[in-house]
Amino acid sequence: MAEKRRSGVTVMSDSKSAKSDNDKEFLCQAGVGDLLRDALLKLVEARPEDPIGFLAEHFSNLASESETGTDGEHLVQEQQLLSRALWHLSLAHHSQRSAFNSNIRVAYELLTQAGPQRRVPGGVRGRLYTEMLQCLCSEGGLSGTTAAPLLRRIRCHNHEAVPFELFRQGVITCAVFADYIRKSQCLYAAVASCPERPAERALCQAVLGTLREALETSDCADTARYLEASAKISPCKVAQAMAEVRCSSEQQEGPTMDAQEFEDAAAELFIARVRVVT
Amino acid sequence: MKMNPDRFTLTEDEYLADTNVLFYLNDAVAQLLEHREEYTQFGVVRYFAEYFTSVKNGNHVLFREFNYIKATPHNRASFLHIFWKCFRQIGKNGDLLAVLEYSSLLQLLCPDFPLEVVQGAARIVLMDDAMDCLMSFSDFLYSLQIQFYFEEFLENVAVIYQDLLSGKTPNTVIVPTSVEQLSNAANEEAETQEGVDSLVFCECIKGLCERFKHNYPSISAIKEILENNQRMTFYGFLMAIAKHEGINQDIGALPNRTDVLIDPEMDQELERLIAQISVSPTSNSSSSLPGHKETPRKASPRKSLHHRKRIEMESDGSTEETDSSEN
Repeated sequence: MAEKRRSGVTVMSDSKSAKSDNDKEFLCQAGVGDLLRDALLKLVEARPEDPIGFLAEHFSNLASESETGTDGEHLVQEQQLLSRALWHLSLAHHSQRSAFNSNIRVAYELLTQAGPQRRVPGGVRGRLYTEMLQCLCSEGGLSGTTAAPLLRRIRCHNHEAVPFELFRQGVITCAVFADYIRKSQCLYAAVASCPERPAERALCQAVLGTLREALETSDCADTARYLEASAKISPCKVAQAMAEVRCSSEQQEGPTMDAQEFEDAAAELFIARVRVVT
Repeated sequence: MKMNPDRFTLTEDEYLADTNVLFYLNDAVAQLLEHREEYTQFGVVRYFAEYFTSVKNGNHVLFREFNYIKATPHNRASFLHIFWKCFRQIGKNGDLLAVLEYSSLLQLLCPDFPLEVVQGAARIVLMDDAMDCLMSFSDFLYSLQIQFYFEEFLENVAVIYQDLLSGKTPNTVIVPTSVEQLSNAANEEAETQEGVDSLVFCECIKGLCERFKHNYPSISAIKEILENNQRMTFYGFLMAIAKHEGINQDIGALPNRTDVLIDPEMDQELERLIAQISVSPTSNSSSSLPGHKETPRKASPRKSLHHRKRIEMESDGSTEETDSSEN
């Protein structure tokens, strides 16, 4: 493909075919073909939103890998692997489930390489896994206090080896939780309606009640549960619940609830449904 | 370089075609072959890392040939950004320059930057009149942006405009019958007035955009511009596009018009630079010149010494200019 572009550029006096043979040999020797094929495969698999940034990062990672060598300091190497794993996880939103899953797989493979004896049999070390979940939460915009109760449930002990399926569940849980908290913040903003004043307590409780009901679905097939939940949290249901509260309490100036309390309450609903890792 | 959110439903080829990635890979390999001794001393992988980092940061277009600068929307926007960064001082000093002088400035960044493009931008500023007038930096900058970024779009609009003026139904556009009638009606009274009927013009441009594969300003912005006037001249339309904040933001290469001369980060760098020069006037090693952050001198393995020298000369020149005009 290089030759095609070069045909426009004036090359020196030597004949074109000799030049292009020379070029081919050079590219072959330098391993450019394999390098680019590999990069394109990775690119097409991940389909990042910013492909140029992806390639910049990809080649930089490769270059620093070969430059630092394999037996650099463990801690530095581990941090590098961790940030690369996090970068892979940030490439696709979790709702793009198949792309997200394959990125999780890449991140998992990366993290299994960390540590003094290279590979822990059975998976990623618990300490690294927990650290990664913490980073995921803070990258998702969660405050430490909001994320802590969730992390307590899904973290592993430092010495444990984390198998892929558990790893995947942990990552998805954190990603979904961060989204959920963002949504609940929007919900609070909508209920408060006026950004300077806190929202009415009664209204907040009505909304939280609706949310709780939506999360408590009956035990049937997954698809049916999704439908049931989305019906229960539909705008008209929320509006109905809020209207009922409005009718029963006529006075305007009731007690209020601040944003943090609302967020905590919403987070609690979510976290209560996350299974503790044992 | 915005991607559509449905990128996961595209085929591999469609995804790659959407991204210009193959274009950049081609160019990276061509550049590598051209300068193989120089670029391979740090390793081929490092070379590709530097190449794509500079594309990402937008400083890859500096000193490249015009065909490359023009090749992708990202390249065009990057070039405009660099032009603004490098010559903002001219605007700050309030200097007015002529077409040829702007052309020389552009050729410092891109040796074969064609005069026609500069003249096109000047025509927008001067409304196709008195082409030897001097222009302010910001007027020229935003017109250049429109001329350069939307070049193909402007060419097509010019054809439509001429057709409308001469009373022809624009043959480049599939015009619905109602518009055709409108157009005929409009032409009867158009004799004495300047320009063409905005509504008809707008319909024709919309028709063009629907099947246009190059960049064009958002339809809503075009509508907004044309709805405000009953009649519109070609250069009046281009001027309005050049002044439209929304279109400028969509391109994303330049700040808002009111902020065009403000860049505190760059000012600080410049002050440091001037301070350094006055302390050690003989020093000209590249490490003593931390300015021009956007230029690829940081990506040292990629740029030849020749290029580096040139940049230094340039920045020296511009600071001297600043000094002399302030005195």
